[in-house]
Amino acid sequence: MSLLAYIVRRLLLMVLVLIGVSLLVFTMMMLLPPGQRVAIYVTNDRVSPAMMDALIAKYGLNDPAPLQYFRWLRNLLHGEFGYSITASSPVLKGFARFLPVTLELVLYAAPLIILTGIFLGTLGAVRKDTAMDHVTRVLAIVGFSLPTFWLGLLLMMIFYGFLGIFPPGALSTDVRNIVFSDPTWHPYTHLVTIDAILNWRWQVFWDAFYRMILPTLNLVVINSALIMRLMRSSMLEALGQDYMMTARAKGADRKTLFRRHARRNAMLPVITISGITFAELMGSMVITETIFDRKGIGWWMAQAALQLDVAAIMFDVLFLGTIYVVVNLVVDLIYAYVDPRVRLS
Amino acid sequence: MSTALQTLVETSDLHTNFYTFEGVVRALNGVSIVVNRGETYGLVGESGCGKSVTVRSLMRIVQPPGRIDSGRIVLFLNERDRSRGIEILQRTETYMQSIRGSDISMIFQEPGAALNPVLSVLDQVGESYRLHRMEQMITETLAGLEGERTAMHRNSPRRAVRRLQAALLKAERRGLQRWAALVGRIDNELYLLEDRQDVEALARKESLNRGRDRARPRSGLASIARRVPLLRRYRRPINATIRRHVVELLRSLGIPNPENVVRRYPHELSGGMQQRIVIAIALACHPTLLIADEPTSNLDVTIQAQIVELIKDLKRTTISSVLFITHDLGLVAEVCDRVTVMYAGDVSETATVRELFRGPLHPYTAGLLASVPKVDQREELSMIPGAVPNLIRPPEGCRFHPRCPKRMEICEIQKPPTVEHSRGHWVACHLYPGRGNA
Repeated sequence: MSLLAYIVRRLLLMVLVLIGVSLLVFTMMMLLPPGQRVAIYVTNDRVSPAMMDALIAKYGLNDPAPLQYFRWLRNLLHGEFGYSITASSPVLKGFARFLPVTLELVLYAAPLIILTGIFLGTLGAVRKDTAMDHVTRVLAIVGFSLPTFWLGLLLMMIFYGFLGIFPPGALSTDVRNIVFSDPTWHPYTHLVTIDAILNWRWQVFWDAFYRMILPTLNLVVINSALIMRLMRSSMLEALGQDYMMTARAKGADRKTLFRRHARRNAMLPVITISGITFAELMGSMVITETIFDRKGIGWWMAQAALQLDVAAIMFDVLFLGTIYVVVNLVVDLIYAYVDPRVRLS
Repeated sequence: MSTALQTLVETSDLHTNFYTFEGVVRALNGVSIVVNRGETYGLVGESGCGKSVTVRSLMRIVQPPGRIDSGRIVLFLNERDRSRGIEILQRTETYMQSIRGSDISMIFQEPGAALNPVLSVLDQVGESYRLHRMEQMITETLAGLEGERTAMHRNSPRRAVRRLQAALLKAERRGLQRWAALVGRIDNELYLLEDRQDVEALARKESLNRGRDRARPRSGLASIARRVPLLRRYRRPINATIRRHVVELLRSLGIPNPENVVRRYPHELSGGMQQRIVIAIALACHPTLLIADEPTSNLDVTIQAQIVELIKDLKRTTISSVLFITHDLGLVAEVCDRVTVMYAGDVSETATVRELFRGPLHPYTAGLLASVPKVDQREELSMIPGAVPNLIRPPEGCRFHPRCPKRMEICEIQKPPTVEHSRGHWVACHLYPGRGNA
C-alpha cells in the first residue's frame, strides 16, 4: 500500500513539475510581441492588421502577464491548446496524427538500444582485454561522439544515395494509399507495422519495416553507446567485488556467476541511465525524423520551431516534460524492485 | 611429513604470481603445507604474506591477473582409497566447481562484502543446495508430492497438477543422473591417465577435460518446461524443499527466528549475523574442509568470540578439518592444533601450537611472538624492524633476511631449505642446517 502512496505522491509532484515547465514555456512565449503570439488563433494566411489588432484584443494578448498565464492555464485544462499551422489542424488533432509515427520508432529503437547496450557492455566486461572488448569499446566511443544529424546524413548518403536502398519517408506511395484510403484497412493501433500484422497485409508490413531500419539504426548507434560504456564498467566493478569470490567459492558456474551474481548488481546504475537515455532519445528523434522524413512528433517540433508555431511548441514541450517525469518514476520503481536496499516511502 | 595422521590436502612448492602493470608480484614462493584429516590447521602471518593467496590457490579461485604457475596440490577426498589423490591443478574448471562449496568451502573476512546485496539470504544459502544437492532435493520433493497426491481425492484437478509436477521433476532428475554418470566415467578415465605424461595420454586427457567442461545436466523435457512461464511453476515444490533445508541449517547455526531471516537481505542483518550466513553458505553441503579466511577480523570482540565458538563447535560436530587463517596469535593458540607461519610468500615454520609457542625456531616466529603484548608487561613492546618487502622485487635468498636479527652471509644468497628440526617441527632457516632437504 505504501508503494501506491508513493506513486500517487510522485504523480502529484509531477503536476508541480509540469506547472514549472509551463511557466518556463509561458515566459518563453511572452518574450514574443503580441503580434506574433496571435498566430496561435490565426487559421488562415490572409489577415489584415486591423483584424490582428481585433484578435489581440479579443484574446487579451496585451493583458498583464499573470492574468494571461492563468487564462492560458485555464485553456490548457479545458483542453484548448490552440491551432497548429504546421499541422494544419488543432494541436490535439495534430498530436494524435503525429504520435503513432514516433511511438512506432520508439517501440523498435528503445528496446534495441537498451538490449544492445547491455549485451555489448556485458560482453566487453566478461571478455575484458580481448578483441571483442576493444571492438565494442571503439564502437561505443564512436557512437557517443558522433552527432546524430551527421550519422543520419551519412547513413542516408551511403544507403540511399550510393546504394539506392532504404529510401526515406515512413511509407511508399502505394502503401500510403492503402493505409490512408483503403476501406478494408483497419487502423487498430495506428502503428503501421502492427496494424499490418493485424490486417494480415505483409506488403504493408514489409514496406513500413524496411523504412524503419535506417532511422532505428541511427538511434541505436547514437543512444546505446552510453549504456554500453556504463554496463561494461559497472559489470567490471561487480566482478571485482567480494561476493563474486563467495559465489566462486561455493562452486557457481560461469553462467550463474555472470547472470545471477554480477549482472543484477551491474544493472543498477544502468537502469538510471536507461531512463536518461530514453529522454535523450526524444531529442534525437527531432533530428532523426527530420532527416529520414518521418512525420512524427520530432519532425513536427522541428517544423514548429522553424515556422514559429507557438501552440505546437508549447504543447510538445509539455508533452516531453510529462514523458521525462513519467519515465523517471518508472525508473525509480524498477530500481526499487531490483535493489532491495532501496525502500520507497 | 607426519604419517600418523591422514593427509587431507597437501600443497607442494606452490608458486602463484600476479602479473600486474608494475611487474610480476611473486606472492607465493614455493609454499608447501599439509592439512590432515580431523585437525584445525592455522596459517599465520602479517597482511600480504600470502595466506589468502595460498588458500585461494588451493581452491583454484585466484583472480586474474593472478596465476598458479607451478607446484602441486593433491586432495585426498576418498577416505578408503588413500592412493586416489586428486591433482587439483590438473583438473577441469567444471570439476573444481563440483568440489568447491561441496567438499571444500570457504568463509571470508568481511561478511558484509562477501554477501551479494541484491539476493536474499534464502537465495544465497539455497544456491549451495541448488549447485550441489539438486538430486537430493528433487528426490525429497518427489516424496512429498507423492504423499500429498495419495491423500487427495481421485478426481481432484490438483492431483493432475501434482502428477505433471512429479513427471517434470523426474525428468529433471534423470537429466542430472545421466550427467553425473557421464562425468563419473570421464573422471575415472582421467584418474587413470593422471600420472602418465606421454603425448597420447596428454591428448586424450585434453579431450576428456573438454568433454567434462561441456557436460551439462540436461533433460530436454525439463529444460523446455523451465523456460515456459506457466510450466516453470513445477519447480515451486523444490523451492519449498530448499527453503526448509535452509531454515533448518540456519537454526542449527544458532540463528534466532530463521523463518524470518531467510527472507531478509544482507544489509538488514548485523555483522555477526552476516558472518553466520556466510558460514551457512559454506556449510550447506557438509564440506570435508572448511577454510576460514580471517573470519573474525572485522567483527566486534564479543561477536568474534561467538563466531570462534561456533567454528570450534562445528569442528567437533560437522566438519572434518578447518584451515584457519589469521594474524591473531592468541586466536591460533585457542583454536588450532598445528600452525604454519608464513612470511612474504614463504613458509617459515610449521609445528604444533604447543611447540610453536614454547620453542619458536625461526627468528620471524620469535619476533611475532615477542610482539604480542602480555598483561604483566612493563617494558616496551618489542617489534620486528622494517616492513614487509615488495614482492615484485623480493629480497634474494631468505626473504626475511633484511629484517632478521640473526642474519648471516648465506641468508642473502640462498633460500633456506625446509628441515624437520624435531619430530613434526619444520623450519626454513639457515640457523638450523638439518639432515637434508624436505
